[in-house]
Amino acid sequence: MSILYDEEQQAIATESRRVLEARVNKDELLPLLEATGAYHQGFWATAKEQGWTALALPEAHGGLALGLVELGLIAHQAGRTLSGAPFLTSNFGVAKAVALYGSDAQQTRWLPGLASGETIGAIAFSDGADALPAHPGATLAGGRLSGTRGGVTGGLAADVAVVLAQENGAPALALVDLSGIERIPVQSFDNSRCIADLRFDGAPAELLIAGEAAYEAALHILALQAVVTAHEQTGGAEALMEIARDYAVTRKAFGQPIGAFQSIKHRIAELYGLVELARANCIHAAAREGQDDFITAAAAARLSATEAYDAAARDCVQIHGGIGVTWEIGLHLHMRRARSLAVEQGNLFFWEDVLVDRLAGEAA
Amino acid sequence: MSDLEAWRARAAAWCESMVPTFGKSARKGLGVEEDLALGRRYQKAKFDAGFAGINWPKELGGQGLGHLEKIAFEGEEMKHGFPNVYFGISLGMPVPVLMQFGSDRDFVKERVLKALQGEEIWCQLFSEPSGGTDLAGLRTRAETDGNGWKINGQKVWTSWAQYSDYGVIVVRTDPTVPKHKGLTYFWVDMKAPGVTVRPIKLAGGDSHVNEVFFDDVKIGDDHRMSPVGGGFAVAMATLMIERYVATDSAGFGPHLDLFVALAKDLRLNGRPAIEDGRIRQQIARNYAMRAGLDSINVRARLMMEAGMTPGPEGSLNKLVAVRSRQKLSELAIDLQGAGGFHFDEHASQKEDWASSWINAPTGRIAGGSDETLLNTIAERILGLPQDHRPDKGIPFNQIPA
Repeated sequence: MSILYDEEQQAIATESRRVLEARVNKDELLPLLEATGAYHQGFWATAKEQGWTALALPEAHGGLALGLVELGLIAHQAGRTLSGAPFLTSNFGVAKAVALYGSDAQQTRWLPGLASGETIGAIAFSDGADALPAHPGATLAGGRLSGTRGGVTGGLAADVAVVLAQENGAPALALVDLSGIERIPVQSFDNSRCIADLRFDGAPAELLIAGEAAYEAALHILALQAVVTAHEQTGGAEALMEIARDYAVTRKAFGQPIGAFQSIKHRIAELYGLVELARANCIHAAAREGQDDFITAAAAARLSATEAYDAAARDCVQIHGGIGVTWEIGLHLHMRRARSLAVEQGNLFFWEDVLVDRLAGEAA
Repeated sequence: MSDLEAWRARAAAWCESMVPTFGKSARKGLGVEEDLALGRRYQKAKFDAGFAGINWPKELGGQGLGHLEKIAFEGEEMKHGFPNVYFGISLGMPVPVLMQFGSDRDFVKERVLKALQGEEIWCQLFSEPSGGTDLAGLRTRAETDGNGWKINGQKVWTSWAQYSDYGVIVVRTDPTVPKHKGLTYFWVDMKAPGVTVRPIKLAGGDSHVNEVFFDDVKIGDDHRMSPVGGGFAVAMATLMIERYVATDSAGFGPHLDLFVALAKDLRLNGRPAIEDGRIRQQIARNYAMRAGLDSINVRARLMMEAGMTPGPEGSLNKLVAVRSRQKLSELAIDLQGAGGFHFDEHASQKEDWASSWINAPTGRIAGGSDETLLNTIAERILGLPQDHRPDKGIPFNQIPA
């Protein structure tokens, strides 16, 4: 069952859009591409100041006790304006893991900082192409974590990470304080994602949850993040669709706006379809948190949002012609972001399998 | 339970009770004429049970309820494959337009009651050989004839014309003005002298559409349903009436569950097809697309329930669902390999992949082609410019043929 946004939720969307459009622009984002480990300070300061970091966390630890629907609305707007840092999603994932699976002491230690945004969290589940490895290449033994986690989004800036590891041959989620941990920067096509390889060499780590339940917990956290990311992708796709439309009504060729040519207008109409399908799946998925079909709904949102953002990035650049591929116009910021978001929280292959396992009744 | 839920439950129970008499197994093996006869009895039963003309005024034989109740009933009805297809156009467009624009109210009431009970069927005579998408380019003409009119010309793709008692028709009454301005809207008696109906057999084997020829067909001016020259606006109103209908994210083809079941049953290169990545990707992408349409449809219903107008994204359903049904049906046939050759032209498009496949192009063309829908989205929703139209503003009889 999908939902309609209520007045308060609509106000969140309007206000976050207003603030972000005033404070984030491509001229500040472009230089970040050529710097490793730099993110848009203004974006993150805004997220903290506006309470977005606290939005979906419990009140007892400084949160605002709203949910995935509200965070999704913010993420959608962040996607429109190309959020300058990945922490809105990664902090949410870490905080949710601590809130759902952590002890009272762990919650008291980490949640207030994550809610205020003073603490930055990162999720480190994947092993290369494997978003949720059955046999993670990191080991937890005697409260110490060893091994490397590659390509961790936010890893260069994070203070704390939730790591999928194995303990006694079974999966385990470990909470690790990252101070003093070796981080190897990944020079990426989307550098403000602050991606790093994290090397653990007997680092002190606390267990959150162990055994088969840890794998299910990791999938749940990944799905929560995937729904936030899907909103962000949909926002990016929507912005690109509008940019393409605006260009097509002003740019003229052969004596008429290029938007009068069906090869252009149909392409933009197709984008409209992809954006609306993604939006509808996002709204549905956000509203299904806590229900039996949440993973299925999250997967559908993830698939349609990835498809929408990818298609919008390709076609918007194409419709612009030569100007579209220039550094200055910045459409490549969206191209890059579409790619990084397509990979973060598990790629299409991962979510297709998650979805079909459930549809075919093969899920664990 | 809300009133609407209670209504839906009553509709579901009634539909369930009709299955033995009118359901798929009752229809199996019937020829079209027999099936139509069964359909007429079904329509009468529907009328007697208070499920016909749900959102039509009571004084004309309807139930006086809203489109929410109508959609709820249709959602239940759709599950059972009842023989209601013969009345879809009739009760969907021509008869509502007659209710709205017919001048002789006693005549209107009599026709509406007969149509609601399945006794009479109406067809819609819009498309022509020279104009389907370009409706205003039509050439069938009506000339004044005494106090009335005389119609000459040809219509085409007219659904159920061979079983229709009446039809609504748009014709050209003035070729000297630009094309949209020279049209007038009438109703006609399909049994009148000079009307010839010739069924067209379609690729899938059925013949529900027709050519309709008009040779000096004389009608009175009381048949006129628009001002002279004001027919295009009534034609547009006709097409807008069916805005609120139950939609189907499967594109009126098989449910995705049937494809999943097929993939679980079959083997591909020695391995279960359901484990093949190519098959899994198609299942996943189709599911995501259909789930998106379902969510759009649910939200449209919630908006109507809240007294709001649903967003324009509802227009995506036909475009997106039918063409993906076409591809999925191709894939389902291919997947069965040499076991997929079987074809039964009477099989249900909602249950049989070959039937779904062969009939899918009709769904992408009838009632607004994919290309027309894309134009509509681009122009009406996104504000992109209209296509270049060389015939714009030119008197119809001066447009180069």
